[in-house]
Amino acid sequence: MKGRSMHDVRSAFRGWRAARPFWGGLLLTLGGAEILVTEKVSLKVAMHIGMQGLTGYLLPALMVLCGLLTLFSPAQRLFYSIVGVLAALASWVTSNLGGFFIGLLLGLIGSSMIFGWLPEQEPRVSRRRRRKEARAAEAVQL
Amino acid sequence: MASSADNTPENPESGSSTEPARRGRVRMRRAAVMAVPAVAVTAGLAILTAEGALGVQFSISGMPFTVTAKSLDGTGFEQFGDLDNMIENSPNAGDTGGQVLIITSAIKNATLDSLCQSVDLGGINLLIKAGSGATKVTASDLTTDSTELSGDAAFNNIEIGNDASTLTKAGVKGKKGVFSQQADTVHIANLRQTNYATTAGVFKLPGLKLSFSDTGC
Repeated sequence: MKGRSMHDVRSAFRGWRAARPFWGGLLLTLGGAEILVTEKVSLKVAMHIGMQGLTGYLLPALMVLCGLLTLFSPAQRLFYSIVGVLAALASWVTSNLGGFFIGLLLGLIGSSMIFGWLPEQEPRVSRRRRRKEARAAEAVQL
Repeated sequence: MASSADNTPENPESGSSTEPARRGRVRMRRAAVMAVPAVAVTAGLAILTAEGALGVQFSISGMPFTVTAKSLDGTGFEQFGDLDNMIENSPNAGDTGGQVLIITSAIKNATLDSLCQSVDLGGINLLIKAGSGATKVTASDLTTDSTELSGDAAFNNIEIGNDASTLTKAGVKGKKGVFSQQADTVHIANLRQTNYATTAGVFKLPGLKLSFSDTGC
């Protein structure tokens, strides 16, 4: 049954996504990719300025790498998020103002989301519901 | 990858029976620990750049963009023709045969008054303006590949008709047998360039302003 197997694939993907900082890793990868696109390699020109020109490509490549590693090896996510955010910040200086700011922003949000991610959290409870529950507990005590 | 299983189990449902299941989530306060200092550093970098204290590096290519300036003063100037090759079967090739004729200009040290740079991002233009105040934009090792170049130029000690492979003034060399010119100093008023690629070792952009606009420079 085709519909059945599609459902299986979807739920397997959801499980995979739940076990790693998926959106953070994705944003960091996209940020690095965006910066690389704005400086689309014309190697001949890059060679003109030598080593200094090369760092402009190294830092966004590092961002992409950190983003992908976060997705495929999430246990080391803290390290990747710190390296990723530093690369994103430094890309302001080396790579077209961080891909005209867009890539830098994506990298920054992505890294922060990876840093803030924790496995196996209780589902979020809205503030209003939390307050209601607290009031209910109070009422029971009285 | 096996080590990752210890603190990120593949089936988060197995532990508890409560619904919905426990799963990895972004804790906002924890994320803020990194986000707040990072945003502060970004703001610091932007301010330092806007004051002209921090030089930034540019290398753009593959998309055409326009640069204008009230005036440009440079020392160590070179200019020669060249041919840029596109990748095979590039959608931009059209009837050009995949080659673009360009003018490569290289300037060792340049000072630009009221720089305006616009990149067309498909319908909307990104504008970068700088150097309209008292301090001017400075750039070193500026190399541009232009398809169009206009302005009122004055050169000092110009040598016209050199072979492009023997240029010495700005440290960039062209192909053998190509016409070229070089000069000690250059002054261009009302500069307007349509560029295909540009790189600058260090760009200092005092009074930097980034904005989106419908019209280019």
